[in-house]
Amino acid sequence: MIPQPPDRLVHQTRRHFLREGSLGLGGVALASLLGGAAPADDPFAPKPPHYPAKVKNVIFLSMSGGPPHLDLFDYKPELVKRNGQDCPASLTEGKPFAFTAAGATKLQGTPQKFTQHGQGGAWISAAMPRLAEIADELTFIKSMYTDQFNHGPAELLLMTGIPRTAGRPSLGSWVTYGLGSENRDLPGFIVFVSGGSLPSAGKSGWGNGFLPSVYQGVQCRTGGDPVLYLTDPEGMDRSLRRASLDALKDLNAPKPGEPIHPETATRIAQYELAFRMQMVVPELMDVSREPARILEAYGAQPGAASFANNCLLARRLVEKGVRFVQLFDWGWDFHGTKAEEDIGENLIRRCAAMDRAVAALIQDLKCRGLLDETLVIWMGEFGRTPFREGRTAAGPHIGRDHHPFSNTLFMAGGGLKPGITHGATDELGFHVTENPVHVHDIQATLLHLLGMDHTRLTYRFQGRDFRLTDVQGRVIKQILA
Amino acid sequence: MTLLLCAFLFAVLSEPGSQPDSRPVDFSREVRPILASYCIRCHGPDEKARKGGLRLDDREAAIRTLSGGNRAIVPGKPGDSEILERLTTDDVNSVMPPRKLGKRPSPREVEILEQWIAQGARYTTHWAYAPPVRAPSPAVSDPSWPRNPIDHFVLARLDREKLRPSPAADRHTLLRRAALDLTGLPPSSEEADRFINDAAPDAYERAVDALLKKPSYGERWAAMWLDLARYGDSQGYIHDPPRTIWRWRDWLIQALNDNLPYDRFTTEMLAGDLLPGATPAQVVATGFHRNTTNNTEGGANGEEYRHASVVDRVNTTMQAWMGTSLACAQCHNHKYDPFTQKEYYQIFSVFNSTADANGEDPTIEVPRMGQEAAYAGLSAQFARAKQKLDEESQWVDSRRGDWEKAVDRARLPKDLADILAVPAEKRTKAQADALAAHHRSTHPDWSGRDADVRRLRAELDGVSTTTLVMKEIAPRPTAVAIRGEYQSRGEPVTPGVPAALHPAPSGVKLDRLGLAKWIVDPSNPLTARVAVNRLWQEIFGVGLVETSEEFGTQGEPPSHPELLDWLATEYVRLGWDTKQLLKVIVTSAAYRQSSVVGDASYQVDPMNRLLARGPRSRLSAEALRDQALFVSGLLSAKPFGPPVHPYQPLNGLAAAFGPSTDWETSKGEDAHRRALYTRWRRNLPYPSMIAFDVPERAVCSMRRIRTNTPIQALVTLNDPVFIEAAQALARRILTEGGATLESRAAFGVRLVLSRPASEAETHRLAALFQASRSSLAADPARASALATRPLGPVPAGMDVLDAAAWTVVGNVLLNLDETLAKR
Repeated sequence: MIPQPPDRLVHQTRRHFLREGSLGLGGVALASLLGGAAPADDPFAPKPPHYPAKVKNVIFLSMSGGPPHLDLFDYKPELVKRNGQDCPASLTEGKPFAFTAAGATKLQGTPQKFTQHGQGGAWISAAMPRLAEIADELTFIKSMYTDQFNHGPAELLLMTGIPRTAGRPSLGSWVTYGLGSENRDLPGFIVFVSGGSLPSAGKSGWGNGFLPSVYQGVQCRTGGDPVLYLTDPEGMDRSLRRASLDALKDLNAPKPGEPIHPETATRIAQYELAFRMQMVVPELMDVSREPARILEAYGAQPGAASFANNCLLARRLVEKGVRFVQLFDWGWDFHGTKAEEDIGENLIRRCAAMDRAVAALIQDLKCRGLLDETLVIWMGEFGRTPFREGRTAAGPHIGRDHHPFSNTLFMAGGGLKPGITHGATDELGFHVTENPVHVHDIQATLLHLLGMDHTRLTYRFQGRDFRLTDVQGRVIKQILA
Repeated sequence: MTLLLCAFLFAVLSEPGSQPDSRPVDFSREVRPILASYCIRCHGPDEKARKGGLRLDDREAAIRTLSGGNRAIVPGKPGDSEILERLTTDDVNSVMPPRKLGKRPSPREVEILEQWIAQGARYTTHWAYAPPVRAPSPAVSDPSWPRNPIDHFVLARLDREKLRPSPAADRHTLLRRAALDLTGLPPSSEEADRFINDAAPDAYERAVDALLKKPSYGERWAAMWLDLARYGDSQGYIHDPPRTIWRWRDWLIQALNDNLPYDRFTTEMLAGDLLPGATPAQVVATGFHRNTTNNTEGGANGEEYRHASVVDRVNTTMQAWMGTSLACAQCHNHKYDPFTQKEYYQIFSVFNSTADANGEDPTIEVPRMGQEAAYAGLSAQFARAKQKLDEESQWVDSRRGDWEKAVDRARLPKDLADILAVPAEKRTKAQADALAAHHRSTHPDWSGRDADVRRLRAELDGVSTTTLVMKEIAPRPTAVAIRGEYQSRGEPVTPGVPAALHPAPSGVKLDRLGLAKWIVDPSNPLTARVAVNRLWQEIFGVGLVETSEEFGTQGEPPSHPELLDWLATEYVRLGWDTKQLLKVIVTSAAYRQSSVVGDASYQVDPMNRLLARGPRSRLSAEALRDQALFVSGLLSAKPFGPPVHPYQPLNGLAAAFGPSTDWETSKGEDAHRRALYTRWRRNLPYPSMIAFDVPERAVCSMRRIRTNTPIQALVTLNDPVFIEAAQALARRILTEGGATLESRAAFGVRLVLSRPASEAETHRLAALFQASRSSLAADPARASALATRPLGPVPAGMDVLDAAAWTVVGNVLLNLDETLAKR
């Protein structure tokens, strides 16, 4: 019955905290410089959730392009049976598809072999043998749908809650804004990109939008500096850097008789944090420190720029308390325009490294007792059509078009019912028939597991309170433990 | 329950300042925000959202007897007013706002409502929707302090708070502050010396005049407008292909330097193409609203993204000029301010009649800045050459039919062979032109005849560019988009302006030009206030209205309402003369105060809203880079032109479905241009700019929230752009800084901070130099790398070890808090 401060004040206050003058990572250093009490103004200070959290961290595995869910998880014997027959016009009429004109499309049964796995009897194709082994750790949602049939808008909707480049914060920014970070020597939101291309959402996938820029994802790179400008210039060794920071600190001291400006004090603390990051981050990003059996399990190789390495790094970061690790993997757009986009034998090859790394990640987290406090989520921005893609229908490679109406994703980690399958699609896998789950519902559920009410995680911008889920989103209660 | 209620009442009574207060409660500033926070969402102007038939934003409705026989507000009788009961009760069934909303007014807020009802519950128009009133300068405790009316308002407020202004800043600090504020660059050593040695009483005013005349003024203020205009050199979305609209940016810089009065500046950007006898420059100006994004992804519905662009234009216009979140009314009636969804689409319909549709067209070709005469001359020559060639080509073209029949298609390039396969009457113009061009090039009679045309075209390209513009077409029918969805068409609408604001000027057609006239109409209560507040924000770090993007009921009230109104009316009185208004601001005593902050002063007013000290803030991303290049002598003064590619670390990634995102560093001085000329890609903005809070520029942004992060420290410590500047600074110190260690250290301070060094500073820097030199002496390769990568070999005769050690010092100088901040 303690009167709550009105939201208006909460976010006003938050905004004031973020002013440069009072903004400080390393609050302790600042407090000692000011000779006073520690200011409650650290933007990454762990913040109390709205209600008890099920997990502390998130590893989001974004399969950019839209993996063919009908060839991986959503098994449709009827579709196999009717392979090559006309797709019923009633299904496609009036619906937009990226590369398939209405009418005259042929149903495409999966060329993959499916079997059931684990106690839960999850259907998984032969393209995912390792994940099949740990099926009982996974929570499948087969009734996912989105509003968007193009990559850019669909991935923006998933990552920012709106299908446009509209200056909105990304998922990870919302989370670090809402919860802060457990590790002050590292950014709270770290991003890896593999597969050689930026994701379809571009940098908006980890942008801070209208949130203060401290909440933007820091893209860690696998070549060059792991974090931009982390390395001292050529010729400057650590002792020289230390000497120059000491000089900087002395010169930043106020004139005798003048108090130090709080902004100056904060800046000094930031330089010290940067100095520590220069030591901590390269060590953390060096997977050669892992034992051979771990590297083998993930399929990671020291020095490689791969999704497998990124999965291993994700675990290393979560272990250090990094709140949100976002992996984008390019190359899941199986149109059938070339051999690499064929959903037959090629799909097995394409999945191999991913299947191995993701399964290893989940098992590794579990062995270390981290899976209970981490949410791993694997998904693409949309599914793929039950019919063969229009442009390539006569070509040598079998592909599917973008499909916003149904998709499968899986999660693993704390707070979930493991080994279950939620939702279903019709016999052809076209429409969701049971427990539909919208992109906003995924976002709401992710925030819920982190202890946040998606309707209360707001930020005022342009005179309006914005939230990740706009005016929608429902927590998927049925999958929660 | 009783106990809890008692505790709550006790809290009300024990709140400081709760003794009976005869001071009249100000509805606009004190009461409306409370109603807006807790009540208006369900009891406001939006009929559809209204609960229980109660409306609290309108006095007549609020005091009416409701269907249950009760009255929410009974003027003069707080005890009979149910609103107070509902706000304070512990009965979960009747408490307001409902518990699930998680909002509850503070005891102090309840008390304000109570006093207001006791005083008669008088409503007034929200302050920002009433015209500004020019108040006389108030009396102040120290009449010798004010230098102009601004200071009367500032000091009167300080008097009320029992605070004193700070002493004036020293002259070095003041000049650097003004130079950074007005031109985005520090003063040169010569400018600083001239000012310091100028003993005339108006030395500062003249220095300000000189700063306002510099071409760098327009570049500095253009940076602010690029955020407002969501400017980018790319189209956005997945492919983010390049866009050529930099000529609009050049127009902007020139318009600011020419000090185009704000009403004309506004009109030309919004509707320059509709002005009678519009000049090319006025058409170029309309590029402001062509900075919206395009989705070029295969299968994208063009209309969806065209609609999104129009929405963006409505929101940006109302935001940038009127500080109004009309955007809230896109999907439903505004929950807090008196705007309906229908009114939103009335403004929408004004913008719904331009030719662009999720593509780059229409564009126009115009001369580059300063190339007007060359362009005119070349254009005339080109026209003559073209005409001649056309005449000559007729004969060659007449042979094409035979050639088509005879040619061996297998030997043609594939694209041409494909065109030939298309029947002549079915070819597109582009296909026909490609074929004609090829045929001509193979014809023996043709050879060389088009040389003049080609040469002149190439020369024209060198002095011209294309740029995106607005072009009016027949108005599209507009309807309310139900829930904001472009395909759900509701009631048809025609152009109009919100009824709660001033009416459109009589006799004016409400197209974009009419809307622009409405925006700059002297009776518009918002435009001048929003504009002067934004200038104030740029100078003082925080606007008089902190929420510079929102002047409606959800925004913050102004810290100095009379000052805001004085500035707004002064701006109009000066004929919307921006430079003159800036001069008034920066020559005020308030601006000229020292920004040194005492502990007590900081505790009382951390954000300096009361202005008891001078402005102080960390420099913008642009100013940080420009300053480092300027003091080290690297900065190119070249204005205008296509975007440049300064050094950027390799990313090693392609754009989604696109080419590599890495770029080759521009050659020559283009690697060292001012930051605002850097190519801005929306999907991958320049990393050091993003680190220092430049928005992505996907939508209009009215203020940057400045942060202070370790990533920023890494940029200014290690970004090769800043290392190169430190190396160049080291070389300047060695060549221009005299012969002694001390003179060199002092010279470095003077270059970077535009002030003399203290003895302690000189010693500390000299010590750093010596320590660095001895550390590097052991390893010549390290020293050489530090002195030369990336700047290049040191000049003949310069000691590499010295240059390396001064680079360490230069790196520290460029990272001083004083360097990074405007003080």
